[in-house]
Amino acid sequence: MSRGRAASRPARLCFENVVQRFRLIRERPDTLREVFTRVFRHSSHYHDFEALKGVSFEIVDGEMVGIVGRNGSGKSTTLKIIAGVYRPTSGVVTVSGKVAALIELGAGFHPDLTGRENIVLNGLLMGLSKREIRAREERILNFAELGEFIDSPIKQYSSGMILRLGFSIAMEVDPDILLIDEILAVGDVAFQQKCLARIDDFRRRKTIVYVSHSATSVRQLCDRALLLHEGVLLADGPPDEVLAAYGEILHQPVGAT
Amino acid sequence: MRSLISEIVRNRELIWALALKELRVRYKRSALGFLWALLNPLLTMLILTVVFSTVMRLQIDHYAIFLLSVLLPWTLFSQSLAYGVESIVGNGELLKKVYIAKSVFPIAAVLSNVINFFFSLIPLVILLPLMRFPFHWTWIYLPVPLLGLVLFALGCSFFLAMANVFFRDVAHILQVVLSAWFYVSPIIYSLDFVPARYRFFFRLNPMLYLLNGFRLSIYYGLLPSLQSAAASLGCGALGLVLGYAIFRRYQDTLVFYV
Repeated sequence: MSRGRAASRPARLCFENVVQRFRLIRERPDTLREVFTRVFRHSSHYHDFEALKGVSFEIVDGEMVGIVGRNGSGKSTTLKIIAGVYRPTSGVVTVSGKVAALIELGAGFHPDLTGRENIVLNGLLMGLSKREIRAREERILNFAELGEFIDSPIKQYSSGMILRLGFSIAMEVDPDILLIDEILAVGDVAFQQKCLARIDDFRRRKTIVYVSHSATSVRQLCDRALLLHEGVLLADGPPDEVLAAYGEILHQPVGAT
Repeated sequence: MRSLISEIVRNRELIWALALKELRVRYKRSALGFLWALLNPLLTMLILTVVFSTVMRLQIDHYAIFLLSVLLPWTLFSQSLAYGVESIVGNGELLKKVYIAKSVFPIAAVLSNVINFFFSLIPLVILLPLMRFPFHWTWIYLPVPLLGLVLFALGCSFFLAMANVFFRDVAHILQVVLSAWFYVSPIIYSLDFVPARYRFFFRLNPMLYLLNGFRLSIYYGLLPSLQSAAASLGCGALGLVLGYAIFRRYQDTLVFYV
């Protein structure tokens, strides 16, 4: 099993009994008036929802791990905890090294700025320094293949162009841990191939956590897979076994566990 | 407070880039571009001068300079708050995806208006000789009241940015509060115009202390007393400490509400 092989390498990422609880607000008291009426009526307007119910796993240096599970199983929550966006309700998360996320590329782009201006802003948002960005600008431009569009405002770009630029910047962040959330679904085949080649090159050196609904890509790319179901880690092992367990769950109706 | 300083130092390039972005976006695609930073306060000054000096006959020598000396810092303050209050909510989508120190957004909102403030001093400097008004040496004192005002604006922005995440009313309330605050602060008048028995209430307004140094050094050519300088810096420091303490208290939960 891959875990035995990996045991000698240092852990990059460790979840110990991680719980993420959300306060699900049925009707958000976005305004003060709603707060006042709630106080007077003594009605409760939320219930707690546990997106992760005590999840533990370890990912070692150089592994590429796929996370599979149905919608709402806690996959994206897991990625956001790794990225530091969410602070878990309880449990211990240890992350060593720089993390970059390919989650909804282009999240930090400003539509009125040009591609070139956005490279700088986005790079800074991802934790690069100005000097590092300048040194990588050439490579980013080459990979994104935007031609003369690079000096036009982003709002004139097609969604494929925004994706290409976002991916190029994220790959140049050169993180120790790369998080990928189902982004390759967009973009044309040629660019997908290019991205996959890039990811393949990356995984030789670094750690990747990959969230996907596509069983084929998990089987092809990953050394190991995790199966999340309603916030619980159901399986952890070689992709084939985990995907088989996932296949069984897929045919259950939602909420029947 | 130490954590704020280290966050600023660590993210200085990002804060600077965000502030410039704010300005660039504000003036992009307008024919006059950056000139608006100069024209805006000038036009406001023109309107207020016509109303208060010509129509209402306020007996103040060189009213335009009297007004502009505190109108420019007031604009810095009110615009900082107006941008600051939206700074977290406006970047909510980003905060949900990437980990970024949340404090960079209110700081960048204030910084962009500080830069804007320096540009808005240009028309004042041009206006002085045109109106045959002396350029007082006391201008060198300006960094002190500016520091007090910026710290105070920063504290308010931290608080407002956070409060607006939880209650979107805050942005609307702020508009009303700012326009009321403008009239109860000594901007279009000075404290001497207020009847003595009401002055006590006006002394509760921190703007009195924060703006005082600007008018003294630009218009009167005087240095403020030590107490007055201390009051201005004290208001700024207190505002920042309180505002940032509240911001820090809730900064980890806000991502669930933006």
